[in-house]
Amino acid sequence: MRYIALLFIVASCSFSFSQNKQLLYGFSDIPQSLMINPGGEVKNDWYFGMPLLSHIHANVGITGSTVYDIFANDGIDFNTKLQNAVYSMGSRDSFSVNQQLEIFSGGFSLKNTLGKKEYLSFGLYQELDFIAYFPKDLAILALEGNQNNIGRSFRANNVNVAAEAISVLHVGYNKKVNDHFTFGVRGKIYSNIVNVNSTKNEGRFVTVRGQNNFYDHIFNLDLEARTSGLANLKDDDSDSNSVVKDLRKRALLGGDLGLGFDIGLTHQLNKQWSLDASLLDVGFIRHTKDIENYKVEGDYVFEGINPIFPDTGNGQTAEEYWSDIETNFEDLFKLDTTATKYTTWRPVKLNASLNYAFGKKIDDICNCENEEDIYQNKTGLQLYAISRPRQPQLALTLYYYRRLFNGLQVKTTYTIDPYSMTNIGLGMSANLKGVNFYVMADNFLELRNVYNAQSVSLQLGFNYIFNKNED
Amino acid sequence: MLKELNKYLFLAIIIYLSLFSCVKEVDFDQADDFEISPVIESSLIFLDEPADSFIVNGVATPPISDYVEIDIFNNEFVVDNLIKADFVLEATNSINRGFEIQVDFINDIDQLVHTFTFSAPPSTDGSDVLSNHTEVFEGESLIALKNTSKLVFTLSILSGGAIDQSMPGRIALRSKAIFYLNIGEEI
Repeated sequence: MRYIALLFIVASCSFSFSQNKQLLYGFSDIPQSLMINPGGEVKNDWYFGMPLLSHIHANVGITGSTVYDIFANDGIDFNTKLQNAVYSMGSRDSFSVNQQLEIFSGGFSLKNTLGKKEYLSFGLYQELDFIAYFPKDLAILALEGNQNNIGRSFRANNVNVAAEAISVLHVGYNKKVNDHFTFGVRGKIYSNIVNVNSTKNEGRFVTVRGQNNFYDHIFNLDLEARTSGLANLKDDDSDSNSVVKDLRKRALLGGDLGLGFDIGLTHQLNKQWSLDASLLDVGFIRHTKDIENYKVEGDYVFEGINPIFPDTGNGQTAEEYWSDIETNFEDLFKLDTTATKYTTWRPVKLNASLNYAFGKKIDDICNCENEEDIYQNKTGLQLYAISRPRQPQLALTLYYYRRLFNGLQVKTTYTIDPYSMTNIGLGMSANLKGVNFYVMADNFLELRNVYNAQSVSLQLGFNYIFNKNED
Repeated sequence: MLKELNKYLFLAIIIYLSLFSCVKEVDFDQADDFEISPVIESSLIFLDEPADSFIVNGVATPPISDYVEIDIFNNEFVVDNLIKADFVLEATNSINRGFEIQVDFINDIDQLVHTFTFSAPPSTDGSDVLSNHTEVFEGESLIALKNTSKLVFTLSILSGGAIDQSMPGRIALRSKAIFYLNIGEEI
């Protein structure tokens, strides 16, 4: 029962708007910024990431109620808080988790002549993505039952969950055509580790006043859950070694494969103004191995039974009449298991920004600006959008970037999305003798009580960076 | 010099902010108190018959009885979480004879564990006579309900005024069950 309760709570805290790396976007001192815009500016000549440590990203997003709303130790009855949470949330509220871990990565410039540059980057990373929408109708049905909801449709499309674990092998090409224009593309091979989704549920359950009896209970169900890579793992239960072996194989391109690409560009309007944009993860995964899909499909209207005068028009006995009803119910809730192959599309992400650089370093000796120097400050507006099962999610970010010292840059962001108006993020990148370290987190104001946060994301990593010209 | 100072101030603010992340008191053990109390209503039995269904060769039929085997009441979820149930019956009679409806609750070894009857009074002038009955299952009778695997329905036409094949009127019966559930940790 405890698990049901926890499941209920997890479902109650529906999640959202993850994957926005507004701090890393455009932060070209960090090589991983190329992962968010393959057509971004490249500042290094070559780099390689510290294996397993070059990019660690985690994001949890909750819209509607927070963990604190439900679990605060404030003396208010737990069930009251739970009910308030259920009533205050809608079926568009969601809970999402996104995690990425770079296994390895690197990059080097192919050509680097005056004003022109070609750069190749590559790597392998693992990603986990989970989104569950709050099944509001189901929660109300569980909480109240149908007694107070006669005539209300409990819609099955409220159940909407998608989870995937994949590994991604990628190679990207970045070309600075001239001082005004840079573009880039990145090809990706996805390997599925585990995929579970149930996003196309239809139908409803409704109780209405009936003709022959008090109520007609109308069941109209078309529910489906698809899984890939899960059935084998269940069979492997007895032997944890084989589970690990299976997962490792799939992480190294042994799973169901898919293809995708990223594109991006930067347009330098003049010395101070620039415009850039990227489109990420336009791609699919074709699931063919180890598929197990579940389907419940049926239509039935139940108005009770007439045991004494069964519908004997067609010569039915009471016994047959009753067993018919039983069969109808069994058919209605019968779980069909199939192994139909399917295709999933990766969530497409769009980033764009308009930037303004200003404030050159003042030379202490001559008390003048050095023409060769780069601007110390940058500010701008970023737009982020991600396709999600129900509707795209958008975020708008205002940022300020500053080079504090030669090897230390910081960026701060203020982000608005449908769920938070107070999301302030901070990030920094430090270089020391070729070692680059970066760390960034958003929702700083919320971190004062992490359980009350609607979204928290953290990215950090270590790289070795080399530049021919500097040092 | 002032610029340098600004830089350090900026850094100091960042460090201060990062140290300020903390956690207010939460208590996850509250999940143990989890409890929801949905109330489910479901149609049960119904009938709607004209008077002549109860007359064969000019005389009233003997009681008509039939049963349904039903396993929902001894389903584990119901046994664990059902705290009360009501059976609500509503009869509309326009026949000039009264009716009696008897419902017997039988367990899986064919023992009678619960029974109730409900009478629908006759209609003297052919108008609809409404009658209601609510059978409440609590305590002993709730336990009996949870042991029920067969329901026997018996409909008897009661003695009264003269009857013949062309007698007007109908008897209709509607019924529903109200299940009060309490789903939580302790149960």
